[in-house]
Amino acid sequence: MTAQAPPSQPNVSIEDLVFDGRIRLEDLVGREGLDELCKSFVTLFGIPVRIYSSDGALLADAGAEHELCGYVNTMPDGRRACAATVGGVRSQDPGESGDVTRPCFTGAVYRVMAIEYDARRVGRLIVGPFLPSTLTEPPPTLLAVDKGVEADRAKALFAKMPRAKSDTVTRIADHLKAALDLILFSGHKAHVTSAMHLASVRESYRQLEEKTARLQEAFDRLKELDRLKSNFLATVSHELRTPLTSIIGYSEMLSEGLAGELKAEQADFVKTIHDKGEQLLSLIMGLLDLSKLESGTMRMTARGIRIDPVLAEVVSTLTPTARKKNVQLILDVGPELGEMRGDPERLRQVFLNLVENALKFTPASGSVTLSARMSDDTGDEGDESDGLSLLAPTRAKIVVRVADTGIGIPDREKTKVFDAFYQVDSSSTREYGGTGLGLSIVKRLVEAHSGTIAIEDNAPRGTVFVVSLPQAAPVDAPPVS
Amino acid sequence: MQINFAGREIAIKLVYYGPALSGKTTNLRSLHQLTTEQSRGRLMTLETKDDRTLFFDMLPLTLRAEGANPGTGMTLRIKIFTVPGQVLHASTRRLVLQGADGIAFIADSQVSETEHNAASFLDLRKNLTDLSLSLKSLPVVIQFNKRDLPKVRSDEEIASLASRGREPVFKAAAVNGQGVLETFFGLLQVTWSKLDGEHNLSQLLGIQSNALLPMAARQLGLKTDVATLLSACVGGVLKKEPK
Repeated sequence: MTAQAPPSQPNVSIEDLVFDGRIRLEDLVGREGLDELCKSFVTLFGIPVRIYSSDGALLADAGAEHELCGYVNTMPDGRRACAATVGGVRSQDPGESGDVTRPCFTGAVYRVMAIEYDARRVGRLIVGPFLPSTLTEPPPTLLAVDKGVEADRAKALFAKMPRAKSDTVTRIADHLKAALDLILFSGHKAHVTSAMHLASVRESYRQLEEKTARLQEAFDRLKELDRLKSNFLATVSHELRTPLTSIIGYSEMLSEGLAGELKAEQADFVKTIHDKGEQLLSLIMGLLDLSKLESGTMRMTARGIRIDPVLAEVVSTLTPTARKKNVQLILDVGPELGEMRGDPERLRQVFLNLVENALKFTPASGSVTLSARMSDDTGDEGDESDGLSLLAPTRAKIVVRVADTGIGIPDREKTKVFDAFYQVDSSSTREYGGTGLGLSIVKRLVEAHSGTIAIEDNAPRGTVFVVSLPQAAPVDAPPVS
Repeated sequence: MQINFAGREIAIKLVYYGPALSGKTTNLRSLHQLTTEQSRGRLMTLETKDDRTLFFDMLPLTLRAEGANPGTGMTLRIKIFTVPGQVLHASTRRLVLQGADGIAFIADSQVSETEHNAASFLDLRKNLTDLSLSLKSLPVVIQFNKRDLPKVRSDEEIASLASRGREPVFKAAAVNGQGVLETFFGLLQVTWSKLDGEHNLSQLLGIQSNALLPMAARQLGLKTDVATLLSACVGGVLKKEPK
């Protein structure tokens, strides 16, 4: 195993997430919200309020135009003077103190104030125009602004302008700024929370990816080792088989008396050598099959076959064994079984193995039933009749069940029994023999037919191996593991 | 540390680290209460409904150094963060720790918490390594918090432990505000002396090197003077002897 690499550094800093130093008013609070806030102040105090961002964009504007302003704007010179005043106010910097008063020719004033957040200026608040409470008469600048100004009219409208004391406006503005500050803080906090959330999810994801990459690497190495093991197994099996064939051959010749008559005891010994040799050969063949299946080099034919003769042959082969154990062996094949594509020799191997196993674990006077039926059970979740008219033809399969009344398989073992070399009872003193190869070969052969194998309980006792073979599926080369 | 010449700002980042429930947030809350509104911002806490820190807490302090001439003033921003102590927030701790200028390690004085303190300190060391930082190069102070609880390490034990370590040690009961300012000023002292030594910050601010802490105490509205605060330190090295 390689040493664990230190995780790389996160690619964002908390300063980025908090957008420290780059806080903008408009990022923290929506324009609609600002507008509403300003309008509520206008409703309360009757003085227009505007909010500008630090780069001069108008974010909120509340308050109707005063009648006097409207009147002045009907005249060309008045309009020009008004535009100059408003432009001046708009570009007015609140200065060091953060609060500047700017006069208008009408006698009204504007207050331009800094909006601060976290001890930084983030925008400007403009309150006005309003008349200072001390001013009672319109100033000469109002009457002189345009030759069309009628003194009486101007005076009447001047009287309708809102008036406020300077410190009242300061209080109003402070209150507005305090409310705004709270809104900004809430907005900032919400932003930071979601940004942090995203960042930590991203960070966790990054760590997971690193871990996944390490696991993948380890997995690839193990897969390679597994492949080497399979190759080794195949080679060794092959090399074992060659001398074994000679041992079996010569012991056969001896027992047939080709090298002279044997005494009864000698014949007995030679027969034992021969039997054990055959046993060893079948074990080696099993190993070879497994390694071929694992490496994907098992050759299989795919042609149209019928499953019933295959099953019948299995039953006739094993009937003597069943009779010897006093176990009933029953074949039950439905009438509707059609043709399927597959390799009859390999399928025979599958069912021979399953039935042999069933017989092995079934006590005397029990029974083993081999049955086959057609099925179009989708096996999916949900209603089985969903779109069945479309799906059924593609899902027709032959289900073969091998049911015994034996000792059964505990639930937790049901998936493991298909692992190569696995034995439910792995103690050295176990009651039943076997190499633990059979079922793993069976599973791989079934999968090579695009089929599935599962284990069910056989009430009240025993086990059912359920093999489903698709009728239409092509026979693939077994998956390369 | 960041220096923004255009904005005439210096920003310092201090991080309160430590095991879960050792009182990091409580330290910040108390610090918030013990200082005046003028120089500190709102305490931002991002916590779950059971009052455990989810991402971090942040308390910004803003100190103002008026320059010799108008327009030459500088702002020193001190941002104090806490990390979430719970083990599962490892990635957030690393994020918060990034770019830290100084660390206050808040340990729990209860004897039963000894292992959690040690584990968290090792976690700090590992996270710093991952960030290409190291404890050697970072100013660190240690606070033994929760002195008000029973079954805590005795003062003698802490004094003896402190004398063996390099880091200045403070005792606190943050929930009552005890030792909170002492720890903060101790951390500010070691962090400032390192940063000032490396970047000549006092010149930038237009102040004497030893004037920062008194200035901070004044602007934060403290009644206690700095020397008294720093004298609460047991063990460790608070001030480098001038060479």
